[in-house]
Amino acid sequence: MKKLSAINTGPRVLVQLFLLLLVFVSILPLYNVIAASFKSENEFAVSPFFPPRSPTGENFVYAAVTARLLRFAINSLILVPIGLVLYLAVCVTAGYAFGKMKFRLKRPLFLLVLFLTIFPQLLLATQVFKLISLLHLTNTGLGVILTWVAYFSPFGTYIMTTYFTDMPYELVEAARMDGASPLRILVRVMTPLAMPMIATIAIIGFQSMWNELPFSLLILQNPASRTLTLGIAMMRGEYGIGVPALSAALVIAMAVPLVMFLIFQRRVTLGVTAGAIKG
Amino acid sequence: MRHQGLERDGIAPYIFLSPLLALLAAFILYPVVMNLVASLTEWKGYGPMKWTGLANYRGMIADQAFWTSISNTGILVCYIPASTLVTVFVAALLREGLRGWQAYRAIFYIPNLLGPVIIGVVFSIYLRDDGSLNLLIKWAGGPTVRFLTSPSIAINSVGMVQVVWVHLGFGLIYFLAAMNGIDQGVYEAALIDGARFFQTLLHVTVPSIRFAIEFWVVFNFIEVFARMFSYIYTLTRGGPGYGTFTLEYGIFSQGFEKFRVGYSSAWSMVLFLFCAAISVLQIRLMRTRSS
Repeated sequence: MKKLSAINTGPRVLVQLFLLLLVFVSILPLYNVIAASFKSENEFAVSPFFPPRSPTGENFVYAAVTARLLRFAINSLILVPIGLVLYLAVCVTAGYAFGKMKFRLKRPLFLLVLFLTIFPQLLLATQVFKLISLLHLTNTGLGVILTWVAYFSPFGTYIMTTYFTDMPYELVEAARMDGASPLRILVRVMTPLAMPMIATIAIIGFQSMWNELPFSLLILQNPASRTLTLGIAMMRGEYGIGVPALSAALVIAMAVPLVMFLIFQRRVTLGVTAGAIKG
Repeated sequence: MRHQGLERDGIAPYIFLSPLLALLAAFILYPVVMNLVASLTEWKGYGPMKWTGLANYRGMIADQAFWTSISNTGILVCYIPASTLVTVFVAALLREGLRGWQAYRAIFYIPNLLGPVIIGVVFSIYLRDDGSLNLLIKWAGGPTVRFLTSPSIAINSVGMVQVVWVHLGFGLIYFLAAMNGIDQGVYEAALIDGARFFQTLLHVTVPSIRFAIEFWVVFNFIEVFARMFSYIYTLTRGGPGYGTFTLEYGIFSQGFEKFRVGYSSAWSMVLFLFCAAISVLQIRLMRTRSS
């Protein structure tokens, strides 16, 4: 069935043109980097804009090996999944407690969690850095993982809480009648039912940790321990690296999130709305 | 009944919450409190703290960089209405069921996937004085625009890139989802009454998604005050001069580049006040929404 529309056919063409223009403007910076990544330094100097005339792969080799991007990618691929597992464990247990359990301090504690979701990393950075040094966790994966989990959990907990709150209480009740312990109810009954939302916050958590800069910048000061995101941020302005090599590094770094998007497109979209709009 | 049930789950909820609460106490609450203490001292980030009372705050008020940071944040805030208008407008267009609207939505979302660091570096290349955008402008007969190298322009470049360009894709998904919830009947009734696009947008769509718009504006405030560091670090490193300093960047610069941690903590307290206000506003919105 054709939907009624407030835009006539004539203006429709104009609207399409407007949107295409917007797409063009929006894509141009990305095109620019992709084109540059296949150019030699010389070609880029003469022609920074047009597609490469004689595409070369040497920038990619330089970025991956000489600039150690491969190493950084492996660091990220180790740190982020470990962080993600901890993050999910923390958010699901806390979300369940807030969503389905009764206790006296529920309201104030939940408000506290909400209150803490938005403080910028830089506000906490100096003291977190001091704490990490005290624990002898500077330059360690554990240091940055703990910080990430602590920093990103409040938002994940909030989303899990709204989800658990909306689930029917009879489920808990029935399991309790069967004599199941709270932990058992959470692990065996509620967690499987909450899988759709857990998958959604897993994507949110992954993106947050994968793209995180300020904490990794301060905690991972040893160049060998850099994450991919930190590696890219530090590469800009590093002496001797040209735009084509930097562009190749960017193209490599873009691969992971883009592949994620292609696989999980629907879930990524849901993640955007999960925070505020329900249903 | 309700009173009886108040503690019926006993100690279990506290055990379930303990990992979260322990992490929050150590990594968020403790830092916020210690910031206040540190802001009253002279401290390099290590070694002894020297109590100096309000000296840091007095220094801050006399510091040109501080006021530049505040006004830069103000400039970024000015991009929020533009971003909201553009995003709601484009979402309303896509909602009309134009051919390929899903493809548009996906393409506009790409910047959000890439994350602030990649975006920042991409634009640091694109917006160079001899970069592609300036090349295009030159071909069109315009002068070189010093997007990142002029102090007065650079902060606007940051605003355009982050507040408008990056948020468009995020906002489209968000607003399209909200518009999905509008009763189709109301919309069709307006059409039958002869309302055209702008009339339905103004009188049906916008009032129906008022909540979503309010959330969107608060979200944008959070981004501007609390999520700009990665963009600025990769685009301009705060420069030229103090050109793109914000409170966040100032804290970083004073604390980790100049090792004046006590002083940077005074900046942090100002940022804390702004963020606390936004946070309270957000919680109030969430509560009106859920009730």
